[in-house]
Amino acid sequence: MAMKKLINNPDNLAKELLEGFVLANSRKVALVRSDLVVRAKAKAQGKVALVTLGGSGHEPALSGFVGEGMLDISVPGEIFAAPGPPRVLEALRLAKRDAGILFIVLNHAGDVLSANVATGLAEKEGIKLRRVLTHEDMSGGPRGESDDRRGLSGCLPVIKVAGAAAEKGYSLEECATVAERMEAGMSTLAVAVSGATHPCTGDVIAEIPEGMMVVGMGQHGEAGGGTQPLKTADETAEIMLTALLDDIQAKPGEELFVMLNGVGSTTLMELYLVLRRVKQLLEARGITLARSLVGEFLTVQEMGGFQMCVGRLDAELKALWDAPCESPAWTAK
Amino acid sequence: MNTITHDTLAEMLRGAAAEIRENHEWLSRLDSVGGDGDHGTTMVRAMARMEEALASSVSGKIHTLLNDVGWAILGVDGGATGPLLGMFFVSMASAAEGLEELGAGNVAALFEAGLTGVRAQTKAQPGDKTLIDALVPAVEALRAAAEPGADILEALHLAAEAAEAGAKLTSTMQARFGRARNIKEQSIGTQDPGATSMSLLFRGFKKGLESHA
Repeated sequence: MAMKKLINNPDNLAKELLEGFVLANSRKVALVRSDLVVRAKAKAQGKVALVTLGGSGHEPALSGFVGEGMLDISVPGEIFAAPGPPRVLEALRLAKRDAGILFIVLNHAGDVLSANVATGLAEKEGIKLRRVLTHEDMSGGPRGESDDRRGLSGCLPVIKVAGAAAEKGYSLEECATVAERMEAGMSTLAVAVSGATHPCTGDVIAEIPEGMMVVGMGQHGEAGGGTQPLKTADETAEIMLTALLDDIQAKPGEELFVMLNGVGSTTLMELYLVLRRVKQLLEARGITLARSLVGEFLTVQEMGGFQMCVGRLDAELKALWDAPCESPAWTAK
Repeated sequence: MNTITHDTLAEMLRGAAAEIRENHEWLSRLDSVGGDGDHGTTMVRAMARMEEALASSVSGKIHTLLNDVGWAILGVDGGATGPLLGMFFVSMASAAEGLEELGAGNVAALFEAGLTGVRAQTKAQPGDKTLIDALVPAVEALRAAAEPGADILEALHLAAEAAEAGAKLTSTMQARFGRARNIKEQSIGTQDPGATSMSLLFRGFKKGLESHA
């Protein structure tokens, strides 16, 4: 598969896309030091700040979740590569406040390493922070073995409720509790139907055989999981939802959210078909689809497929989900 | 050669950068089997940062040189490479405080500190198909060769051989760590890119020292 992308010098790709991203969302976000994405209008110092980090090439994630009611700072890395600890430390210094920092880290080797080094250095400087790790990719391994489960698009609902909690004046511990409860009750499964190329090298980062789909693909299309003939939208929805409900052990009478995250070239049309079937299947099990979210939030270049994220909601989490926010990728009034 | 100075150490580090640059395509090819195929590119970026630090670090002190190199590499956006390799050099630096020149015993102690620094950042154990599988035998070889007055070039030669053997051995291992674990038994047959770049660094240290000798 030959790469066909409108880019300039690959060495400048991450920097150039960041410039464009901030221009496109200039009422919501701004750049500090040319490499940290912050809110256009800073949050009050008395409230808990939310910070995250992650590689570029997954737009609008993660900087697209910076804004009122969401993140305060995102530290974008190079394409598919975590930012190094010195920049993460700079972000933590920038966010430093008595109320503390909720530091949201997706479980990927580079992100975790960089976050750990930066956290150690920040704590030495007296910066108050709590780290929350998102690791909801059920294809990574059995539930409970958090090291093996990577963080996929489930970071978005976590950021949403924790961001709303911070905005409402929750303490650092209370924000962490909300984030961890949301995270513990959710699970994500990915399906890929077509591959993608690395925008810097042109290398194929995932190749899906003709007529096949792969259930259980990670964020960069790492091999692994179930290769099978391409199914219909209804059948795919059922395969994925069944696995996810089993993983979180959902019971009749519960209220769930379902997020469908298109990863690049799968159309909204297809995602709407999937959501329609998800609703029918949940009803048949006596489970309420309390909230849903469909769109492109965390993408993998031109890969085809989507991530389905399912999680429990309670009254508090629903209220935080519905709270106002204004970020490039999620706005609610 | 029984002792090395700040300038010799700088030559060793330059040698490592040259060795990585020469082999970066191979590293990326190895990484494309179980990872996202950019390990060579990331290592080249890390080495470029290291060379900038070598050029601008003017204190003449071994500790400062290693610390500057470590922090420069920490600043590389490159998944696990920046933090691990950065902490390797930063940890070596802390063991070099106050030393004006290094004997074979100091060299072994520095690399042992580097290994400890790396192991504080990752749960990977020997046999998990990571850079640990090249680094551990290299450090062991340095320690074994570190008798008083020992020839440091010879010690580094043995360390480079041990690292290379360790890296080669990873091709028989199944990845239990990092992204390559996702491909399970398919990871067998290809040597680990991180272990390979670690063995190239040691070969480069040796070549750098040779060129200075």
